[in-house]
Amino acid sequence: MTLQEQIRANRLRSAILVVGFIALLLLLAGLVGAILDVSVGVVALAVALGYAIVAILRSRTMVARVTGAREVDAASIRPLRRLVENVSIAAGLPATPEIRIVDDPAPNAFAAGLRPERSYVGVTTGLLETMPKRELEAVIAHEVAHIRQRDTYLMTMAVIFAGVIALVADLGFRALVYGGRSRKGGALVAAAALVGFLLAPYAALLLRMSLSRRREYLADAGAAEILNDPEAMALALRRLELDPTTIRYADASTAHLWVESPTDRVESDRQGVLALARLFDTHPPLRERIRALEEAGGFRLPERLPSDTPFALTLRSE
Amino acid sequence: MPWWGWTVIAVVVALVVLAVLGYNRLVRLRNEVDTGWANIDVQLRRRADLIPNLVEAVRGYAAHERAVFDEVTRARAALGEASSPGGAAAANDELNAALGRLLAVAEAYPELKASENFLRLQDDLTDTEDKIAAARRYYNTTVMRYNTQIQSLPWVLVARALGFRAREFFSAEGDADVPQVAFAGSAP
Repeated sequence: MTLQEQIRANRLRSAILVVGFIALLLLLAGLVGAILDVSVGVVALAVALGYAIVAILRSRTMVARVTGAREVDAASIRPLRRLVENVSIAAGLPATPEIRIVDDPAPNAFAAGLRPERSYVGVTTGLLETMPKRELEAVIAHEVAHIRQRDTYLMTMAVIFAGVIALVADLGFRALVYGGRSRKGGALVAAAALVGFLLAPYAALLLRMSLSRRREYLADAGAAEILNDPEAMALALRRLELDPTTIRYADASTAHLWVESPTDRVESDRQGVLALARLFDTHPPLRERIRALEEAGGFRLPERLPSDTPFALTLRSE
Repeated sequence: MPWWGWTVIAVVVALVVLAVLGYNRLVRLRNEVDTGWANIDVQLRRRADLIPNLVEAVRGYAAHERAVFDEVTRARAALGEASSPGGAAAANDELNAALGRLLAVAEAYPELKASENFLRLQDDLTDTEDKIAAARRYYNTTVMRYNTQIQSLPWVLVARALGFRAREFFSAEGDADVPQVAFAGSAP
């Protein structure tokens, strides 16, 4: 699949996603309307759509907030900035993405932004402290490939939609449980609503996961092509595989349903977004990805990783 | 109209649609090559702007190394005049060699090597060289895609007539840094 075909396929998927989202939302609003009142259903729908639109318009800032990615003084990360510039030039991006830093010991990275010209790459401090330059370059190239093939666009939409669905389902669930006397409809309606409210967030999650799997292989291949170095990408993945801190996020993506307050919601969204954009969650197994790179590049990774100086050390010494 | 009349019309319409899509693809690929070349050009210029300062910095300590300065200046001018990607790549290699000698001269002067100005220039130089390498990778990839397209059927029959010519890689003769993908035919 060429890059252009990939971009076109992503546009189509985005359209399907929007339609699916609206259908799911209509269903939920219908259920809310059925158990409470039609007017409540309409209001819920309007609020949810409004929230989604605002979220899409403000997605750059929102993703930064929920991931905890902060902007940093350009001078303090000059070598990293240069590395990202070089990768972007090699990828033929119209502009170099900004860099944001996430203070987290787990090595990881993500890309965000609706348009390639206004995107940014978030990297954890753990990534900088673990990866040597060559592998860091590969990880950045992987994220740049996501930006280039418009995955970030699709993923941002998916995250927002999943969040909105979870919000509406949560509200509906509360209305059902605590609604008391204002509740209408028989036991059957209530049961259907309960099932709907409980399952909707999982449906959204499933949708998201189905979107992200195959494109990881594509982004790996893209990174290998950008750097003309498939081995670097494979080495980076192996290093991620060997890193014990990655396990922390393994089960975070199911936390969606049990949110208490808006601040807690931000907390759970944070996990959801990370799970999505992280290099290794909702992703094919690292082993599979490494094997795909080995086959494409015609090489075998050595048993032991080269023990090169992590990039952060070079960052500091300059 | 008889049934075969409709069939002919359908086939013609399908062919026209395919031709339009294919043509647009060629145009897009050619634009990518042009963008790729513009990217290289930007970086080559950036480096060309650095060189006079670098030469001046070294001259301040080693004024007698005339031959090296001349060589760098000449190579820089030659690169500015290069008219084809292949020529520019060859000139670029010359310039790299000359800059290598200039930096080797600088090695002999500890004060120069320690001067902040020189260190910054050297750092900028390394950075531009990395960026030239990156831009070259992208450019060569776009050239390979474009050339492959106009050299495959059916475009090979009409590409020339439509004004699509194969492009040159940004690489000097015998350079290994072209994309490692086999394709039929090669750039003229």
